[in-house]
Amino acid sequence: MELTSILVIILVIMGITLAFSIGANDETLSALVGANITKFKIALIIGGIATGAGMIFLSGGVGKMVGENILGEGIEYTTFMLLSVLISSIIWLIIGSFSGIPLSSTHSTIGSIFGVILVFSLFQGDVDPTTALNYEILSSVVISWFLSPIFGFLFTYLLFKIISKFFLSRLKGMNQIEKSEKSFSWLLLIAVIFAEIWVGANSAECIGIFHALWSNGSLTLIEKDFFVVICGIFVFLGIFIAGRYVIKNLASQMTDARPCEGFIIQISSSIILMICTLLSLPISHSHVIVFCILGLNLAQKREIDYRSLGKMAIYWVLTFFIAGILGGMIYMGFLSVSLI
Amino acid sequence: MPKKELKKMKIDEITQYFMNKTTKQNMKLIRAIGHLIIEDFEEFEKDLKYVIETKKEEEIKRAFESKIWKSKMMFSKADRVLVFNRINKIRDFGEILARKMLLYRVVFPDEQFKNDIKEILELLKTVLLDLASAVKSIGKDLEHSYEVSQKIKNEHLKLRNKAWELLSKLYNYEMDFLSRTFLYLKDLIEGIVILADVAENFAGYLQFLATKYLIFE
Repeated sequence: MELTSILVIILVIMGITLAFSIGANDETLSALVGANITKFKIALIIGGIATGAGMIFLSGGVGKMVGENILGEGIEYTTFMLLSVLISSIIWLIIGSFSGIPLSSTHSTIGSIFGVILVFSLFQGDVDPTTALNYEILSSVVISWFLSPIFGFLFTYLLFKIISKFFLSRLKGMNQIEKSEKSFSWLLLIAVIFAEIWVGANSAECIGIFHALWSNGSLTLIEKDFFVVICGIFVFLGIFIAGRYVIKNLASQMTDARPCEGFIIQISSSIILMICTLLSLPISHSHVIVFCILGLNLAQKREIDYRSLGKMAIYWVLTFFIAGILGGMIYMGFLSVSLI
Repeated sequence: MPKKELKKMKIDEITQYFMNKTTKQNMKLIRAIGHLIIEDFEEFEKDLKYVIETKKEEEIKRAFESKIWKSKMMFSKADRVLVFNRINKIRDFGEILARKMLLYRVVFPDEQFKNDIKEILELLKTVLLDLASAVKSIGKDLEHSYEVSQKIKNEHLKLRNKAWELLSKLYNYEMDFLSRTFLYLKDLIEGIVILADVAENFAGYLQFLATKYLIFE
């Protein structure tokens, strides 16, 4: 078997594993489980199906953007490029996990692509680095990383203020509040399903690989679609088999959280995620969620840990560059051992 | 109230019922002390026995427990259990005081002392009745519950000061008491203060609940 074919198989396996890990790390369901709205297994099944469906049916735009459109004209991914991108983002994410810093796999992937393509253009492809990437698209992606959390923050803040003014502040007793929260719990269920669909649809790092393999001719269209469906199934399995621990852990810390708050956060973040997905912009769901929670806390005049937030923001910005450097170095490594 | 009726009640109604029952018991306790002051020992014992012998609370507790764990409440379940437990705590302290008081038949030293005890009892009565009102409001009007709880705190402070004055008076009487009389009166004052303390603590918890639930105000 040729080296390229072996690498394609490795990339396919890595892509499917990535889909599994996306499911395994998905914390969206914790709001639902924390509010005790449905049985745990039912919540996992509902969430898994929604994410899988989103990935299978709605991820095309984002997948195409990462797997094709972000590159400059005439440039396409090689299997080594994709391998470098994946290895680099995995290494950076593992470093982040061990340091306890929540990093975005999307930022990491795009950063790695940037680094790999830059090294390719400078040392191998004889391509002008200014045209190696579609900087218009890349800049719109990077801008969306900043705008999506800000809009998430504003949207949550305003939505909370409106719901609070016209509804929540009029509830006076525990019975009334309990009754309203019961209604909100059903809305939360809908919001979480909605959010899960768009989480699946915006999983760029995973779908992008298959799109890239298809666009460089390593996979046929039917094979690509088949693997996207497999990814949808694996994201479901990821949530059902491994995601339960993250969800259970987070849900146990949310017993005091009110379904109305969960609803406001989930609906705000999923709307942002939906808009970005429809615009084919891969964004970080966790960053949007963090800012939505921030918006809610500010609207409720709760204390905010600005120090941790600042630290997080630094790593968010650094992720792109560090993943880029890592990706470039790994690709350079492949070049230097004359594998390519 | 028959068991069947109790089972039909909602969680909030059972809590209110338990609170009313506890308040009624504590009112009997206060009345019993009133009888002790006028040395009507027969009525004194009758009222105290009522406080001690009421068996209904076991039924109420069972009805509440079976309802609360089956209920589909979203997030106020734990708070409701705590409210119920605090009512039970008040009831227990009332019962302990009643049992202590039955140990001996005291004769108060003088009229002034009697009046002072009456004054403290009036304050305790206000605290306990207000507490019943505050608990009653948590289902429908937490704001009201908060305000009443604040009033309880103020009344409790007055009661505590009055109790300290009385204790100091007791320790500094020129005449010597029988040691039993001294101990009994000391325990009586301290028992009233403890009961008021538990009620004040409960009021503090109700204020915490109001703040927690009315966060959107």
